[in-house]
Amino acid sequence: MSDKKKQADKEAMKILRQQRKQSIDRVRGAIKSQNKDIKSIKDALKDGGKTVPEITAATKMPSSRVMVFVATLKKYGMVAEGPKDGDYFKYELIDA
Amino acid sequence: MSRELHFDTLVVGGGIAGLQTALDLADQNYQVAVIEKDATIGGKMIRLSKVFPTLDCASCITTPKMAASAHHENITLFTYCNLKSLDRDSPESVTATVTQKPRYVDPDKCIGCRQCEYGCPVYVPDEEQGNFNLRKAVHIPFSNAIPQIAVLDMENCSLCGKCARVCPTDAIDYFEQPEDFIIHAKTAVLATGFELTPIDQKPEYNGGKVQNLITSMEMERLLAPHGPYMRVIRPSDGKEPDSIAYVQCAGSRDKTLNVPYCSRVCCMYAIKQAMLLSGALPLADITIYYMDIRAFGKGYEQFYQNAKAMGIEFVKGKIAKIEQADNQYVSLRYEAQEDGGRVVEREHDLVVLSLGMVPGWTPQGVCQVSCDTDRFIKSSMPQIAPTVTDMEGVFVAGVAAGPKDIVDTIAEAGAAAMEASKYMTALGKQKAA
Ligand SMILES: Cc1cc2nc3c(=O)[nH]c(=O)nc-3n(C[C@H](O)[C@H](O)[C@H](O)COP(=O)(O)OP(=O)(O)OC[C@H]3O[C@@H](n4cnc5c(N)ncnc54)[C@H](O)[C@@H]3O)c2cc1C
Repeated sequence: MSDKKKQADKEAMKILRQQRKQSIDRVRGAIKSQNKDIKSIKDALKDGGKTVPEITAATKMPSSRVMVFVATLKKYGMVAEGPKDGDYFKYELIDA
Repeated sequence: MSRELHFDTLVVGGGIAGLQTALDLADQNYQVAVIEKDATIGGKMIRLSKVFPTLDCASCITTPKMAASAHHENITLFTYCNLKSLDRDSPESVTATVTQKPRYVDPDKCIGCRQCEYGCPVYVPDEEQGNFNLRKAVHIPFSNAIPQIAVLDMENCSLCGKCARVCPTDAIDYFEQPEDFIIHAKTAVLATGFELTPIDQKPEYNGGKVQNLITSMEMERLLAPHGPYMRVIRPSDGKEPDSIAYVQCAGSRDKTLNVPYCSRVCCMYAIKQAMLLSGALPLADITIYYMDIRAFGKGYEQFYQNAKAMGIEFVKGKIAKIEQADNQYVSLRYEAQEDGGRVVEREHDLVVLSLGMVPGWTPQGVCQVSCDTDRFIKSSMPQIAPTVTDMEGVFVAGVAAGPKDIVDTIAEAGAAAMEASKYMTALGKQKAA
């Protein structure tokens, strides 16, 4: 790509970002809170596998939100399902 | 100037009805265009776990039809498109204006590698998985979606540029705009399917705002091999359920919802799901609360009897109230009709609402075809030619014409293809004369 084209693309992106500022700010806010929640779940799992109620107790997040994130981290390969503990499954960090 | 394309038949809707119609016509050498509003073809069927009454894996029987349509030399698929108008201008021609919604991903460059998805930092509820887990803002709808092309959800994009940086083929285009194009065809087949009635409509069901109260389509996802948890657990806290209940006629045969008709498939899919659950969770109690069981098709009564023999409990009684109980249980109140009519309250780990089927699309303002009192597309000869509508050379197939199962949908799709073929043959003969 020529330098001229690169510069034009940069300018166009700048304008697009200005036009979409409101939604970008909202999404950036969501990313921040998601990252915080993911970090607390991962921290809770650092010392070994836990069930969703145990993660909930450790993170103080609503259990349904913990469940959504655990399922997501599992889908993207960061968490694995471990053994069963009573009626619940334990979840473990994959890179722990 | 909009791009203009010419085909023999335009099929609206890429569910199983639309795909079967397209395949039947394409095999007779007609050129077919299929327009689909979603980013993938396959309709509801590709999102199911298994299908009654055979318990075949839904994906195993839908994917080959999807692939056959995608690879057929006489079929052109237009996904992620809206139908703006469909008019008949002469006996030989219908004209459709279609809007290609922006994917922000160049379909000719995308190789479906998912690098963009892995790189994207934004998590969004995944509607394809009942919102039980999250997807990325840029994503491929699901693993067996066709086409395997990513779509960027601009509403949830932070324009951080990461997807564009990691894409090996330079396919991301943040500047894409909607684009109209025109399709001319001789005939059209409407195969726009259905949606479920909304979960929040009934105040006596607490507007659906009860933890572990889910829809039948969400249960399909929990049971599917590529589901959100890859097993059946409670969405509120991951508990493996000991007791699961079905509330039948939760959105059908209900005048208060303006859905007085029977949605026909709910009894059968509830029985199917109950059977699958008793396989997945052999120790769980499964109860179906029903008004009456309508096992209408070939082999369906036997399917119902098999479910009873497996220990699934059938309780005759209409659920009057659904509430949150302690420990995230769901409480159901009903009149036990076969037990002296006493009022009973029972709690379950997980409750599934068998919601009703309503039309997936309304033609009003888009096309002149008439709808019936139930708002599904009206057949002008329901007894002898059920796929014929009151718009010349425009036919209807599948649930677009009224609730039905896959077997009847496929049969009707074949009939619609035959009617379209007959119409085009007659046009050819008129020209020759
Ligand atoms: C929970 C559940 C379980 C079921 N299980 C079974 C089962 O086990 N066995 C069985 O036989 N049946 C089952 N059914 C019924 C089955 O899903 C239907 O019979 C079948 O999906 C109907 O196919 P269709 O193509 O008519 O509609 P759909 O599957 O709804 O497809 C319609 C397609 O048209 C598209 N569309 C809509 N409007 C437009 C538009 N304006 N422009 C472009 N595209 C449009 C939609 O996006 C969709 O892709 C079940 C139904 C439910 C709800």
